[in-house]
Amino acid sequence: MNPALSARGLVFRYGDREVLRGVGIDLYPGEVTVLLGPNGSGKSTLIGVLSGSLVPAAGEALLFGRPARSYPRREMARRLSSVGQSLPMDFPMTVEEYVALGRYAHRGLFGGATREDRERVEGALDMAGLACLRERPLSGISAGERQRAVVARAIAQGGDVMLFDEPTAFLDLRHRVAFHEVVARLAGRRGAAVLVASHDLSLCAEYGARVVLLSEGREAAHGSPEEVLTPENIRAAYGVSVACDRNPATGAVRVTPLRSEGVREGS
Amino acid sequence: MSGERAGGAGFRAVLAALAAALAGALALSAATGPVPVSLGGLVDALLRGGEDTPARVVLSLRLPRAILGMLVGGALASSGAAFQALLRNPLADPYILGVSGGAAVGALAATLFLPAGASAVLPACAFLGAALSALAVFLLARRGGGVSPERLILMGVVVGAFLNAVIMLMVSLSPPGRIPGALYWLMGDLGQGTPKRVAVLLPYVAGGSLALFLLSRGLDLLLLGEREAFHAGLDIERVKAAAYLTASLLAGSVVAVSGLIGFVGLIVPHGARALVGSAHRRLLPAAFLMGAAFLVLSDVIARTASPSGELPVGAVTAFAGAPFFLFLLRRGGGRA
Repeated sequence: MNPALSARGLVFRYGDREVLRGVGIDLYPGEVTVLLGPNGSGKSTLIGVLSGSLVPAAGEALLFGRPARSYPRREMARRLSSVGQSLPMDFPMTVEEYVALGRYAHRGLFGGATREDRERVEGALDMAGLACLRERPLSGISAGERQRAVVARAIAQGGDVMLFDEPTAFLDLRHRVAFHEVVARLAGRRGAAVLVASHDLSLCAEYGARVVLLSEGREAAHGSPEEVLTPENIRAAYGVSVACDRNPATGAVRVTPLRSEGVREGS
Repeated sequence: MSGERAGGAGFRAVLAALAAALAGALALSAATGPVPVSLGGLVDALLRGGEDTPARVVLSLRLPRAILGMLVGGALASSGAAFQALLRNPLADPYILGVSGGAAVGALAATLFLPAGASAVLPACAFLGAALSALAVFLLARRGGGVSPERLILMGVVVGAFLNAVIMLMVSLSPPGRIPGALYWLMGDLGQGTPKRVAVLLPYVAGGSLALFLLSRGLDLLLLGEREAFHAGLDIERVKAAAYLTASLLAGSVVAVSGLIGFVGLIVPHGARALVGSAHRRLLPAAFLMGAAFLVLSDVIARTASPSGELPVGAVTAFAGAPFFLFLLRRGGGRA
């Protein structure tokens, strides 16, 4: 199977600080790939480069074999949707108006909403559990609800490739699980190639088919959750001792941080 | 999308109410003044024309002035709404990026350096000054093929400060007696409302407002920030350039015929947002109608409030408008 999105040797610098130092990644249709790595390891930058909003100093992202930056903006947005970490909101806009903006690339500058647009927006609101909040202003809902609205915008936009940058950071357990269920459905039914950057190692092991671990702008490991989530890899990347075992209920890898020796001696 | 339909009915009601308010303001403006005109006389003059004094006053003096107020108020409010989205800054107004300073320098230069009879070219000079300074700000703010809101505001402030210095120099170095006219012009004045001026201004306001309306979905996306707009598929640099140049053209063209009228372009967009929300397909028409009605009414007050002569309409807009819009913004606080 050919990857939907593929990149090799990506290098990106902010000024003279090299944030990506030759990263490669493949995203396959129907598959959820999880991007792990400590703060500052380059996850957001990698998503920025893959989505075309950042231009790499070297390397290139290929979307269906074509350089991602060679696509016209609107066509690109119909094929790839991406969700960033923050949503500044100083102007009144309802949740529904915001989610409907995800259809921009499908509707064009002047065209009205088609039936499909309405159904997609409706479906996205439902999937994100926002149907009852649709009339609320974005500035009047919680950070977690706003994060779900951003995810709903991306779902409404759709596309063959979907990139999520820490989409569950503000979510409670129930909505984290709901997010991963939604993403699993997007991959399973619509065949989307999904990339999720996250800090939630165990939950990602539960839902991710493939894991990429970044450390200091390089790929530290990639493969199945079992292959990547080992005490050695995690200690090398995060500098934290963990125990990795199998969740007896699901069989998925489970990562438990161990208290540091210093703390244990003192107690 | 039931929200759009339900909101649509409410939006049409708001738009109809604003249109009715504008029509009322225009009628009031045409009927008010030293020569009293009854409502019947007004309708008569409009439908049949005529040569009697009231009809001539209405048709050649008051109506052009009222229509000028409508065009200027509507254009300022539209332009302000666009700048607020473009700069993602609720404090933006049509003058923020150097249009006012450029227009003032152009108008003062026309007053000082051209023969006294040449006041007819003052609007053209003001427009030229506004257009040049808006273009200068845009080009100075460009870097790496794009403009950022932060750099636009920074360059607007720098260019504005420089133009202010030029204005002060011109005022202090000019011979006495030539300046008061230009200073009064700076305070904003709709007295230039001749049918010819209205005809010159109309295509700019109609074309500019329509162009902004066509950009409305792009402006919606820009409100979310450039990264979000980019991800949603917007060609952000092209939309920003188009919206910036259109909004500046609108502001420059109305400044040229009416001077600097403050408050409308800053506050009316917020008032309109409180009524119809931030989606620009609704906001821009609502802001245009609200700004138009508001400025026509302000001009009626400016013409009639003082027995000793006209007040500058720019003073009236802020004085009478601030309490009203404070009420509207506090009431609409739930949406903001």
